[in-house]
Amino acid sequence: MQTFLQYTILGLAIGGSYFIAASGLVVTYTTSGIFNFAQGAIAMIAVFTYWQFRWGWNWPAPLALLMVLGVLAPLLGAALYQVVMKNLRGTSEVTKIIVPIGVMLGFQALATWVWNPTSSTPRQFQKFFGPNAFVHFGSIKVSWHEIIAFVIAIAIAVGIRLLFVRTRSGVAMRAVVDDPELLQLNGGRPERLAMISWAGGSFLAALAGILIQPMIGSAMSAGQLTLLVIDAFAAAMFGRLRSLPRTLAGALVIGITTTYVIAYFPSKWTWASSFRNSLPMIFLFIVLIVLPQDRLRGATVLRLRERFRMPSIRTAWIAGLVLMVVVFCLKVIMERTAVNTLTLALTFAIIALSLVLLTGFAGEINLAALSFGAIAVIVVYHFGTTGSGSDARTTLWGILLAAVVTALVGAVIALPALRLRGLYLALATMAFGVFVSRMVLTERNERDIFGLKFTIFTAGQLTIPKPKIGPFDFNSPDAFLFLCAGLFAIIGIGMVYLRHSGYGRRLAAMKDSPAASATLGMSVVRLKLSIFMMSTAIAGIGGVMMAAQIGTVNSDRFDILLSLSLMMITVVGGIGYISGALFAGIFLIAFVQMLDLTLKKFAVDYSSIEAIFLFFVSVVTVLPATIGITMGKNPSGAVSEILNGLDQIKQSKPLVITLVGLEAAIWALAATDVITNWHFVILTMVNLFIVPVVGGKVLLARAMRGVPKPVPPELVGIDRPFTFDDLAEMDRALDLEGVVVPSAGTVREGATGVSA
Amino acid sequence: MSLLETVDVKVKFGGNVALNDVSISVEAGSVTGLIGPNGAGKTTLFNTITGLQPLTSGKIVFNGKDVTKEPPHKRTRMGLARTFQRLELFTSLSVRDNVRVAGEIRNRWSFRTARMDVNAETDRIIQLVGLADVADREVGEIPTGQARVVELARALMIQPTLLLLDEPASGQTEEETEQFGELLKDLARNDGLGICLVEHDMALVMKVCETIHVLDFGIIISSGTADYVRNDPTVIDAYLGSPESVG
Repeated sequence: MQTFLQYTILGLAIGGSYFIAASGLVVTYTTSGIFNFAQGAIAMIAVFTYWQFRWGWNWPAPLALLMVLGVLAPLLGAALYQVVMKNLRGTSEVTKIIVPIGVMLGFQALATWVWNPTSSTPRQFQKFFGPNAFVHFGSIKVSWHEIIAFVIAIAIAVGIRLLFVRTRSGVAMRAVVDDPELLQLNGGRPERLAMISWAGGSFLAALAGILIQPMIGSAMSAGQLTLLVIDAFAAAMFGRLRSLPRTLAGALVIGITTTYVIAYFPSKWTWASSFRNSLPMIFLFIVLIVLPQDRLRGATVLRLRERFRMPSIRTAWIAGLVLMVVVFCLKVIMERTAVNTLTLALTFAIIALSLVLLTGFAGEINLAALSFGAIAVIVVYHFGTTGSGSDARTTLWGILLAAVVTALVGAVIALPALRLRGLYLALATMAFGVFVSRMVLTERNERDIFGLKFTIFTAGQLTIPKPKIGPFDFNSPDAFLFLCAGLFAIIGIGMVYLRHSGYGRRLAAMKDSPAASATLGMSVVRLKLSIFMMSTAIAGIGGVMMAAQIGTVNSDRFDILLSLSLMMITVVGGIGYISGALFAGIFLIAFVQMLDLTLKKFAVDYSSIEAIFLFFVSVVTVLPATIGITMGKNPSGAVSEILNGLDQIKQSKPLVITLVGLEAAIWALAATDVITNWHFVILTMVNLFIVPVVGGKVLLARAMRGVPKPVPPELVGIDRPFTFDDLAEMDRALDLEGVVVPSAGTVREGATGVSA
Repeated sequence: MSLLETVDVKVKFGGNVALNDVSISVEAGSVTGLIGPNGAGKTTLFNTITGLQPLTSGKIVFNGKDVTKEPPHKRTRMGLARTFQRLELFTSLSVRDNVRVAGEIRNRWSFRTARMDVNAETDRIIQLVGLADVADREVGEIPTGQARVVELARALMIQPTLLLLDEPASGQTEEETEQFGELLKDLARNDGLGICLVEHDMALVMKVCETIHVLDFGIIISSGTADYVRNDPTVIDAYLGSPESVG
C-alpha cells in the first residue's frame, strides 16, 4: 500500500509536468497552427540555463527561477515566433513540421556546444528545497518538489481554461487558427496574439523541464530532455491538440503508468526499463488508433509558395549517367578515406530518396527513415548473410527480404495514422523512431520468441558484410562505391518513371487535393499505404547499404536525431527532387565532415589562432539546423534555386563550355597530382559557384545592351506613351485574357437578377 | 424514384445550424438549380451529399440506396461526381493530366470490363468541354473561368450519373457561359445525367434548370419551376431583404 501511494504521487507529479509541457504545445498550436517540435528542446535549454544560474554561478533559487521562467523563456518563445515561425504562413504542412525540427536540432547542437557533455563532472540538478525536503503523511513521505509540480499543473490547467473561455484575448486566440484574416477584419491582431502564445508556450516548456528534470534522474542529458517532447505529444494527442482537460487526463495516465511499471514489474524482466521509456510512444499509437477519421483536406497548394517540376525521363537517364561519370572521376583522384566518405554519403542519399518519394511525391512525412533502416539491418544480420569471417557476404535475397519486412513494418506503423492529417503520421513515425532506439536497439539479451532463440541486437552492435549479388562481389571499396552510386541512380530513375506513370499522377492528385481525389473515387488511405510501404522499403535498402559500408554498426547510427537531420536537409535540398536527396546525403555526410576536418586541420596547422578554428568547428555542428530554420523563406529548396540558375546558363553555350572545360582542367591537375585534393575541392567550389554568377551577369549585361529599361506599369503613359503591348501585358497580369469588353446593351445580370 | 434525395438533412457547427432539415431531390436527365444568397449553406449541402461533411441528422439517398454512412470515394464509385467552388485542381499537373488522372483513378475502381481507354476518353472530353487550346498548359496558369471547366471535365471523366456543380460559371465570360449552358442541357438530355447546379448567374440558372430549390440560412424557402421561384415573394424577400427590415 505504501509503495502504491508513493508511486501514485510520483506518477501524478511526473504526469503533471508532462501536462505543463503539453499545454504549451496546445496553446501554440491553436494560435499559430504550428506544432512545436522544439518544445522539448526549449525545456532542455531552460534546464541547462537554470542549472548554470543556480549551481554553476550559485545564484539563489528565486532569482534563477525569475530569470529563466520570467525573462529568458518568454523572450525565447517570442523571438522564435517573430524571427522564424511567422514566415511559415502559407507554406505546406511539411515545411511547418520541418522548421520547428530545425530549431530543435539547433538547440540540441547549441547545448552540447555550450555545455559540453564529455567535460568535467556530471551536472547535478536538485529538487526544490534540496533533495531532503519531505512532507510526511502518516507512513509515506512526499517531497515538496512533487507536491509543487502537481499543484502547478492543476493551477495551469484551470488558468488556461479560464483564459481561453472567459477572457477576450483567449477567445481571440482560439479564433486565430480558425481564420486569422477574419479575426484581423474584426479588429483582432493575430500576429501579436500568436507571438504572445509562443512566449507562453515557451514559458510552459521551461517550467515543465525544470520540474521534471530532478524527478527523472539527477544527471542532465540534452538528448533525453529534448525527447521529453514525445511524452508531451502523447498527452496532447489525448486532447486531440484542443481539449485541455483531456490533455491533463492523458498526461496523468501516462505519468502514473510509467511509475507503476517501475514499481511493479518483476526485476527479472530485463526489458522493463526500456518498456517504461517506450510507454509514451505506445500511448501515442493507441491514441492514434482510437482517434476518429479526419475530414479530408482540400487543396492548399494554390496558395502555397512551393512548386516542384519533374524532369523528363530522358533528363533522368542523362543525370544518372553524369552521376556515374562524376563518381568515377572522383574515385580516381580520391584517397581511400575520402572514397569511404563518398560511399557513405551515397547510402544516405538512397535513404533520402525514400523521403523524396514519400514527401515530395505524395505529401506524407516519415521522420524516422533510419529506424526503418535499422529494422532492415536487423533482418539482414539474422537472415541475410552467407559465409563467415572475411568471406561473409550479404545476399541479394537477404536485402530483398529486408526490404519486404521493412515495408510490412512500415504498413503496421502507418496504418493507424494514415486516416489522419499528415502531422499525425509524422508523429507516429517519430514515436516509432524513439521506440526503436529505446526498445529494439537496446535488446541485447537472448529472447525465446515462439521457440526461436535469438538476440535482436547482439552485444550492442551488428556486423553487416558487403553484398555479393550473383557473380558480382562488391567487397572491394571501389566496387561498393559503384554499387551505391548505381543503386541511387537506378532508384532515382525509377522514381522519375513512376512520377510519369498513372500511379505517379494519382500520387500528385492526392498530394494536391485529397478531397478532390476522394470525390473522384480514390481510396486515399490505400494509396497512402502503398506509397509509405514503397518508401520504407527504399529506406531499408539504404540502411543496409549504410551498415554494409560502415561494417559494424551500433544503435547510435540509427538515432532519431540523425533521421530528423536527414529529413531536414532533404527538404533544404528540395524534397520534390531526386537531386535533393543527393544533396542531403552529400551535405550531411561529406560536406559537414569535410568542413570539420578542414577546420581541425587548420587549427593544428595554425595553433596560435586555434581557438578561432575550434569555434568554427562548433559552428559547423549548428550549421544544418540553421539552414533548416531558414526554410520558411525559400520552401522549394536550395537545389531548385541552383538549378534555376543553371537553366539560364544552359542557354549560353560559351558559358557551359567554360564551366565544363575549367572543371576538366582542375580534375586533370588533381589526377596528375599537380594539385592536392584540398585544392581540387576549393577550385571546384570556385568554378561551380563563381563562374555561373559572374558569367550570368556578363551575359545579361550583353543581352540587355540596347534594350530600354522596363518602365513600371504605373508610370506607363507618363514616362512614355501607351502602346498596344502595354494593354496586352496588363490584360495578362490581371487575368483578363479573352474578356469581351461589354458594350452598353449587354451588361450581365448579376445575382439580383431574380427579381427582374 | 429520384436519382438523389436528401431527407431532413441537418448540419450543426457548434451552436450554429448550417442546414436545417433540408430535403431536396434531383432527377435523372434534368438540371436542378440550387440557389440562395452567400452563406445560405449551398456548398455545405454539396459536402454532405458527397460525404466530405458528416450530418448531424437526416439521410442522403442516392439511386435508392441510403449512402449516409458511406465515405466519399464509395459514393463516387456509385456514380456521384462534383466540382468545387474553391478550385480543387491538381496544381502539379497540366490541364490534360488533371483530366487524365481522373480517368486513371476511375480505372482503378471500375470493373475490369468497364475500364476505359483513358487517353482516348481524355481527348474526347477535352474536345467536348472546349479545353483543347489550353490542354498542355499548367493548370495554375489558366484563367479561373477555364479552370472551372477543367473541374467539370475531370468530373465527367468518371462517367457519373449525378453531377454536382458548385458555381461553375463564375469567372467565365458571357460567351463561355452561353456555351456552358448548352453543354449542361446536352449532358442532361442526351446522356441522361442528373445535374445539380449551384450558381449565382441567374440568367444561366433560369435558362437551364427545370426545377429550382432556394436555400436561405440553411432552410429551403422555395422549390419549383423557374417561373414559380422567380415570382415567389419569399424568394424576392430573401434576396432583396423584406420591406419591414428596410423600412
